[in-house]
Amino acid sequence: MSETILELDRVTTVFRTGWGRGRSELVAMREVSLDVRAGETLGLVGESGSGKSTTASVALGLREPTSGTVRFLGEPIGGPKQRRARRGLIQTVPQNPHWSLDPRMPVGLSVAEPLAALDGSRLTAHAERVTELLRQVRLDPALAARYPHELSGGQRQRIAIARALVTNPRFIVFDEAVSALDVSVQAQILNLIIDLQAQHGFGALFISHDLAAVRYLAHRIAVMRLGEIVELADTARFYETPEHEYSRQLLEAL
Amino acid sequence: MTAVIRVEGRRRSVLRRAWDYLASFDGLAKTAMWTLAVLFTAALLGRLFGLGGSPTAIVGPRLAPPSLAYPAGTDSLGRSLLPRLLEGVMTTLLLSAVAVLLTAVIATLCGIIAGYRGGRTGGLIMRVGDILYAFPAIVLAILVAAVVGPGYIAALCSIVLVTVPLMTRMVGQATRLVAQRDFITSAVISGVSTPVIMTRHVLRNISGTIAVQGTYALSVAILVEGGLSFLGYGVQLPGSSLGLLVQEGTLYMVKAPWLILLPGLILVLAILAINLIGDSLRDRFEPREARSLE
Repeated sequence: MSETILELDRVTTVFRTGWGRGRSELVAMREVSLDVRAGETLGLVGESGSGKSTTASVALGLREPTSGTVRFLGEPIGGPKQRRARRGLIQTVPQNPHWSLDPRMPVGLSVAEPLAALDGSRLTAHAERVTELLRQVRLDPALAARYPHELSGGQRQRIAIARALVTNPRFIVFDEAVSALDVSVQAQILNLIIDLQAQHGFGALFISHDLAAVRYLAHRIAVMRLGEIVELADTARFYETPEHEYSRQLLEAL
Repeated sequence: MTAVIRVEGRRRSVLRRAWDYLASFDGLAKTAMWTLAVLFTAALLGRLFGLGGSPTAIVGPRLAPPSLAYPAGTDSLGRSLLPRLLEGVMTTLLLSAVAVLLTAVIATLCGIIAGYRGGRTGGLIMRVGDILYAFPAIVLAILVAAVVGPGYIAALCSIVLVTVPLMTRMVGQATRLVAQRDFITSAVISGVSTPVIMTRHVLRNISGTIAVQGTYALSVAILVEGGLSFLGYGVQLPGSSLGLLVQEGTLYMVKAPWLILLPGLILVLAILAINLIGDSLRDRFEPREARSLE
């Protein structure tokens, strides 16, 4: 079995808001345990408010959980200081293609940014690598000089993927990465992700409310509801014989 | 890749590009720019080549109406009004511009820190801004003048104090909007340091807000300078500023109305022009946010 990249061990995240009597608590993640292995995609599905996005930000090390541990390559993921130490190893492809790239920057520079952050070099110093990455995501390298608003949603999402891949990360979080695209473009992007994963061998957490997309590319699926993982199974098994009542409801709705 | 960017015919000279940019504004804003340009050029000519004569020399009878010899009439001491007007325009514009530059720097720094950092530091900056904002502007200005002593410095400090809170708040809000964007999160995850994110991403994306708010601050600045000089806490005699001239003019409003009308008119024109440019800038920078069908 391949190496475990990311591991969540009984992670609980609680949001507290308000003061005094108005104080309220919301448990966004309750004892969530999951792991992502190298070359594997774990699909995370669930309705809005089920805790998917909180799980993503915890897995990315952006939010410290209330209890439980998050391990990345066997080490506790820790706070912002450790984030600088493991920069380049974790990347993300965000949801909205409108805001996944800085609108004031040629997209080529956006792709180069994670590389520049690694060694403190200039954004313009990585032209060759950017060209290479754009080819990998099947875009014309000349597009590097364009601004995001000059590209289509699908092209922008490809750029976002190129940007995520540029440092050869071990782990990528796709947070609703295809939800904002239309269906034919979605299929292209999903195929692209599958091909790139075969090439690069990164572990992926693919968050989506779209069960069809998840079925297409995830190796295993975790179903979240009200902050808990109610079922975690291999994709094939899950779609044939969902065990949990809620999973069945989800599949019937499909 | 830089090569690719440059090949796209962006090699025109800076001047040419600046001209094209200005030419792309709407008619109203262009008229406003011309108005300001004419005012400024006239003031500059007055300063450099003595256009209209000396602003302090007594040249003719007291309170003479506008004529060929004294195009804007003379004041209560028999000084020609035209050179005093030009000097006043220069003082007012320069003073306000310097003050607004200061404001822009302070407000941008505070606003970005408050908006990006949030938390206690951000809250503190915003609350201090709110307190300053809650003060009536002119009372604040008089307070400053009382502490610093009337003069250029007092006017400068007052303008900064009056304009900083609003601009800080606007910059802070714009920053908060940008800070939520996915590309900032991506940059954070990629390990880009906070100062780099602030300058590379945040500053660039709020530059429109800064330009727009800076323009509005400029019109407020001219107003504050005018008010302060009018009350006698700003620019002092024998210097000249638009506010000071209006104040002098009030004494002879009936007998020599040109003394108050001309500086007042210029004051109104300048503020109107700057506000029109501000509106045009806002139209240019802000709709980009909301449109989805582009």
